[in-house]
Amino acid sequence: MPRVEYHQLEVGYEFPPSRYQVTPQTVAAYLEAVDEPGALYRDSDLVPPLAVGVLAMAALSDSLSFPQGAIHVSQEFEFLATVSTKDTLTSHARVSRKQDRGKLRLLTIDLSVLTEEGREVLTGKTSFILPEPR
Amino acid sequence: MRNKLELKEGASLPEIKRIITQQKINQYAEASRDFNPIHIDEEFARKTPLGGTIAHGMLVLAYISQVMTAAFGRQWLSDGRLNVRFKAPARPGDSLTAGGRICRVERSAGQTLVNCEVFCRNQNGEAVIIGEATVRVGEDENSS
Repeated sequence: MPRVEYHQLEVGYEFPPSRYQVTPQTVAAYLEAVDEPGALYRDSDLVPPLAVGVLAMAALSDSLSFPQGAIHVSQEFEFLATVSTKDTLTSHARVSRKQDRGKLRLLTIDLSVLTEEGREVLTGKTSFILPEPR
Repeated sequence: MRNKLELKEGASLPEIKRIITQQKINQYAEASRDFNPIHIDEEFARKTPLGGTIAHGMLVLAYISQVMTAAFGRQWLSDGRLNVRFKAPARPGDSLTAGGRICRVERSAGQTLVNCEVFCRNQNGEAVIIGEATVRVGEDENSS
């Protein structure tokens, strides 16, 4: 899939939807990486809500060529329903803000994740400050 | 499944402590597929204004989500909201504490909306993340 470059983005730009399944292996790797000891996920197929957001952002990175050194400055999430490893998800992403003010370059992307049945399970808003072009 | 927590304004959420290491950051990069060199390439990161690698914001945010999960259990997964700002980087060697406090409790129609301020601080007491989290809990959860 060709990646869109930062300079090509405009407010309202919608990234191609990304469809993926959250596997038990993906969840296990995530739980270990974040040191999540929670009994809630032991012997269950529940997916941590933040992992759903992280996977949506990973899917976004497949279609966006981000400048190296971008810094995450703020994050909003709304968790609307539990997600299990049986779910196949589709994430949607849209540019909601792009500001270039002198040396400051700020990009905000809205996220939405749905199940195959069309049930929205997560919405989010992620903002980055981008380094100056070299 | 959650720790018993009295739903009253001012109540503290259970704190968790985590230590950031470069190995932990690299492990998270693999799990999240976020290979931004600011996190994993020490030579690259040293030449940036940050002066060295930093942990992924979403890794640190996961600790706050763990606090909310410990306090509110499954309700957090299905009816939670999070709004945070990343105030300072977390670096390898940092010892982080994530926690929070209930700011407002609104009860209506058999449900309770709990608004919390949440934070993650480093070993010097500096805020790494600050923000708010809101969760809706039902009567059963509320009475436990």
